[in-house]
Amino acid sequence: MLTGYRRANGRWGVRNHVLVLPARAAANRAAELIAQAVPDAVAISHEWENSPGDPDSPLVRRTLSGFAANGNVAAVLLVAVDSRDDELAHQIAARGQLVRTLSMNKHRGTIAAAEAGSEAAKRLVEDCVARREPMPLSALVLGLECGGSDGWSGITANPALGIASDRLVAAGATTILGEVPELVGAERFLAARAVTPEVGRRILGLIGDFERSVEALGVDIRGAQPTPGNIAGGLTTIEEKSLGAARKAGTAAVQGTLGYAEAPDGRGLYIMDTPGHDIEQMVGFVAGGCQVVAFTTGRGTPTGSPVAPCVKIATNSHIFERMAGDIDIDAGGVATGTSSLQSAGDAIYEAIIASACGQLTRSELHGHREFAIRRTHYGGAGSKR
Amino acid sequence: MSALAPTVRLRGYERPSGAVGIRNHVLVLPSVVCSTRVARAIAEGSEARWITHQHGCLHVGDDLRHTEDALMGAALNPNVGAVVVVGLGCETVEGGRLARRLAERQQVVDFVGIQAAGGTEAALSAGRAIARDRLAELAATSRTGFGIGRLCVGLDRADDALVEPLVRELTRRGAAVRVASELRGGAAHAQLVRHGAQVIVSLCAANEAPLGCASSPVVAVARDAETFEGLADDFDLAVLGSPVTRDVELLVDRVLDVCLGTPTASERRGAADFVLDRLAVTM
Repeated sequence: MLTGYRRANGRWGVRNHVLVLPARAAANRAAELIAQAVPDAVAISHEWENSPGDPDSPLVRRTLSGFAANGNVAAVLLVAVDSRDDELAHQIAARGQLVRTLSMNKHRGTIAAAEAGSEAAKRLVEDCVARREPMPLSALVLGLECGGSDGWSGITANPALGIASDRLVAAGATTILGEVPELVGAERFLAARAVTPEVGRRILGLIGDFERSVEALGVDIRGAQPTPGNIAGGLTTIEEKSLGAARKAGTAAVQGTLGYAEAPDGRGLYIMDTPGHDIEQMVGFVAGGCQVVAFTTGRGTPTGSPVAPCVKIATNSHIFERMAGDIDIDAGGVATGTSSLQSAGDAIYEAIIASACGQLTRSELHGHREFAIRRTHYGGAGSKR
Repeated sequence: MSALAPTVRLRGYERPSGAVGIRNHVLVLPSVVCSTRVARAIAEGSEARWITHQHGCLHVGDDLRHTEDALMGAALNPNVGAVVVVGLGCETVEGGRLARRLAERQQVVDFVGIQAAGGTEAALSAGRAIARDRLAELAATSRTGFGIGRLCVGLDRADDALVEPLVRELTRRGAAVRVASELRGGAAHAQLVRHGAQVIVSLCAANEAPLGCASSPVVAVARDAETFEGLADDFDLAVLGSPVTRDVELLVDRVLDVCLGTPTASERRGAADFVLDRLAVTM
């Protein structure tokens, strides 16, 4: 049985974090000091400076507020610099999330703000003590991710994860596939599974738009995809990588497409517009409401999310044994014949449910809390004030 | 008036590259966002500095070169006496290659790869042992005198009335000055560090809060009274309104004090922000 935390705004969480969120880069250090003083709170850091005229500001605010309002977050301590950061506080509150704002300019700067913030964070931790209760499977949102893929990814772990995804979707849950650059070549298969022709057109549009934007840059995607690690792992082309990557989404119908960090408005399988970059992707998933991420890896990626469990699945037994401390499940037996795809898929399903019910994943045990926000306006525009 | 005259000699650390540093940092540098937590855990609790960033994978074209240049620049700044590069193993900005390129530029560099080491724990122990050794080596080196002509002061904006008199006074005392072009804030700091500035003067307008920097001390100057009042502890000093000669001299005296070892506000609070201006979207 699935258990979780029911939130006042109707959301469900599988963790009960107090998030210390810097409203801009200048507040990173204060947030970090608060989390050092209050180990039960979790802080992130980011590079956004909230400069006037930054064309990415709406996207960044949507990402940060969505991340802060994830069901796994019980309350937010927003570390602001001054009133320029009010907009972000409003957006978090508008999502029905409990948010306390601490302004550094009311404390003469970082150190005194961190002292006051530590007291505030301690109070939030005390106020947010909660008990798990039975949670409907239909409230679960799972992100489907692969990172450090190899030649086995599309044969073992990804199709096994697809079986787990199908099982969750059949039970009424929601799963999200991302990594648009890693769907290039698989678009027609996915579009054919759309619930309506319109959704099918949007899937083709999402992947086609990406290809055209890369062409407009005048660069060859093959300079970045597959990565050096993918190639060392036996992948030859982006198309081969894509066909394997798409198998994480099983065979379920695609209900719709989502912008980066956008939450689905229904249940079932969705496709989110995220980069292949593992951390930008995971942050987009969590900001879009994923409480758990399932992450297959062939090369051995240890990363996790600051607020969500990340179930790590090895595509081959060699990497599972080599990085046993960082990987939760081994799907390599599918290749060696010691397990079937179905039994590997069932094991992944069980591990997802167990982690949702409170079992800590390897990345959580190691404190892996990597964070990165996708930006779409390039050329240094965001840095010019 | 300061005792520091144009002929003043500063004290710093001679580097194999021929440059001179005013700080003597061990920098733990992740080549990719995936290794930032390990890099930080290696450095935390020691005197080593670290950078946290969000880049290093799935860059294309000029953006890839630019990212590598920025990371190289942070590591090659003369204030950095030794670098521990932490890579993952499958990233676009390969940690091993970054380390080799730093070594070619005569930097003292070690490399830890998380996948090659066998995971987080193994990489952490290896990295901590290396950092401890490098910290001990650097602690055993001593400062020697150097002429102010080898000092490069970076200014993080060009559009401030303080820039022109400040450049004139720094130049009069014999220092080189580099003014950030186009960029502002953290991205400007990364640019200045990359061009060898051993110290950065940050001119903060209204509602701009000071940032720190892992490689170089930042002298944060408030240019707006209300902002200074609210964040006084995070600034080194305020120069409000139209600068007069006395303000400029005081500011340059402060910069030179920092060069002689006085910690800045950002160093005291431990801020080490890294902001990169990207040239293309992530793939």
